Amino acid sequence: MSGSLYVGVDVGSSATKCVLLDGAGRLVGRHVVPSGFDFGQSAEAALDKALLEAGADRSAIVHGVATGYGRERVTVATQRVTEITCHARGAREWYPQVRSIIDIGGQDTKVIHVGADGRMADYRMNAKCAAGTGTFLESVALKLGISLAEIDALAMQCTTDTILNSYCTVFAGTEVIERIKAGQRREDISMGLFRSIASRVVEMLASRDGPVGVTGGVVAHCRAMVRALEEALQTEVLRPPLPQHAGAYGAALIALNRATAHRAPQAVVPTRCET
Amino acid sequence: MVTMAVKRVEIQAAQRLRTLLREYFLDLDAASRDPGRRVAWCSSAGPCELLTALGFEVYFPENHGAMLGSKKVSAKYIPRAVGAGYSPEACSYMNSDIGAALCGYSPLQEAYGVAGPPRPDLLVYSTNQCREVQEWWNFFGRRHGAVVLGVRPPLHLGEVAAEHLRFVRGQLAELIERIEARFGLKMDEDRLREVVDLSSRASTLWRQVLDTARAHPSPLTFFDGLIHMAPVILRRGSQTAVDYYEALLAEMQARVADGVGAVPHERHRLYWDGMPVWPRVRDLSEKFFDLHAVIAASTYCNSWAFDPYDGGDPLLWMARTETEVFINRDEEVKEHFLMEMFQRFDIHGAIFHNARTCPNNTNSRFGMAQRLRQRLDTPILVIDGDLSDARFFSTAQTLTNIEAFIEQLEERLR
Ligand code: SF4
Repeated sequence: MSGSLYVGVDVGSSATKCVLLDGAGRLVGRHVVPSGFDFGQSAEAALDKALLEAGADRSAIVHGVATGYGRERVTVATQRVTEITCHARGAREWYPQVRSIIDIGGQDTKVIHVGADGRMADYRMNAKCAAGTGTFLESVALKLGISLAEIDALAMQCTTDTILNSYCTVFAGTEVIERIKAGQRREDISMGLFRSIASRVVEMLASRDGPVGVTGGVVAHCRAMVRALEEALQTEVLRPPLPQHAGAYGAALIALNRATAHRAPQAVVPTRCET
Repeated sequence: MVTMAVKRVEIQAAQRLRTLLREYFLDLDAASRDPGRRVAWCSSAGPCELLTALGFEVYFPENHGAMLGSKKVSAKYIPRAVGAGYSPEACSYMNSDIGAALCGYSPLQEAYGVAGPPRPDLLVYSTNQCREVQEWWNFFGRRHGAVVLGVRPPLHLGEVAAEHLRFVRGQLAELIERIEARFGLKMDEDRLREVVDLSSRASTLWRQVLDTARAHPSPLTFFDGLIHMAPVILRRGSQTAVDYYEALLAEMQARVADGVGAVPHERHRLYWDGMPVWPRVRDLSEKFFDLHAVIAASTYCNSWAFDPYDGGDPLLWMARTETEVFINRDEEVKEHFLMEMFQRFDIHGAIFHNARTCPNNTNSRFGMAQRLRQRLDTPILVIDGDLSDARFFSTAQTLTNIEAFIEQLEERLR
């Protein structure tokens, strides 16, 4: 394959995602790898695999935008943009009608509101804590000795309105054990975990106007998360085809925009402080 | 991305400030060892003028708390205070100060070669800012066998009425009587007027310094303010503070005339509400600098910008400054103050710091950020952190939050 490519790399705390777009904005390659200890290497690995899928090599890359927790380590990037802007961009490309975007990641959760004009109007990140994030689920799963996929499968068979009361990951682990001892069904307890996250996320919503989109690794892997959010919001939520790739997709779209917009120099020369 | 290293333009007065602080702490140390001199500890918005007029050398423990925060050692000493029964969620200035005292540490040791804070003969607080200062002072009162006295203005006022001021003035008069009786002193009214006048002049000059940030580009940032506000607290009521701010004001006015900005290519003008994040001041300052964003105004630095003294009853002026201080007002007064500040300084976006251990100086707990956002269509970012305990602050998450905020402001410029 030949032609220009635009790359978006999203280095999250758990997974590194890469998306390649062609000059027409078509998604031609993508890949996810665990972020591991070396963010730079993970970004390279995800990019190599995505290029393989696209049948292209690095010489085709015109622009790259890096986002996510480890964005500073991505050498292919010509620009760095926060995951908040990138997720909003990616989700809106899939669903132009969304007004709120909920991104549940491994380490943090973001709620982004966009105005009718498409501009970011407001956003919030969760407080410095695992509550309401993928880490919360992972740590309880670890404690129970089962996988995330198993918790999800169990939760989907829930028949009650059980919700875990604890936001704190440590307390949630204890609460799960107490509930098992009290004879509650694993299916109901599992769904209770997702509902706990959903109730934390709903607190972050500043506005409930307009359609809600969901992105991030947790909704990509757990149908129960989407169900819990729909219950909490009492409305259908829009789950894009590649929720985990929303940030990388948004980053690639920004790279493409940058190339297709006029090529004038930036208004401001970026500077670095020296004290 | 091409980056260009740009050097910060140093404020010349900083050298003079270093000398001023050195002399202040060395003199306090000398006073605490001289049986003929007395030292009083006072809360930062407390009635320090009457203590100075009565001949006390005044020391401010909150400044010591901030030093512990800046030196990034709070987390090391807080556990000692927690072990002594102080909640880990209580004021981290207080906890780190108590913990450091229990461990025999003070940043004054390395900075000025003194043993630590001066031993108090008297400790005076005002609950106009919080009740934490009362318990903090009580700890050191017990430790040093020193008397602890306080002023308790009516709290969280909307309108400040004449009866409020009479009530607080009465407390100040009684405070003087108790100190006079305890230490065998007599207040010299002329001296009190003189100290109040000097205090008010320094405060007025400080306000004028802060006001120079209305210029585009702003000649100073919040982070400069954090350094240069020291004399208006520590040396309030002295000619030294007045002289210092006259020099600083002249320097800032010259910067404005020459178009010198505190950040290069100033692009975004921000407001900071709440406490500083002392252990991360440098990270934050560099981030805003790199993003061409100047924090042109803040609630914190303005807390010591009092109304001028008219030469009348000095205790009434003190009662007013005690009572009218921002932190002691209701939500509506605070909201109006912030709206005026946003307008006055041409603010594009505001940052509210939700300080975990200081709810008193945090204004994002009762919906104010949302109300202001709606009323003014000004983007507002709330960041979680703490004034001194870095364990409540995630640098990576906060810096990303700030970058995203600037991206949001950039979008609005398009
Ligand atoms: S106002 Fe806040 S930071 Fe200051 S002493 Fe009180 S609780 Fe501590």
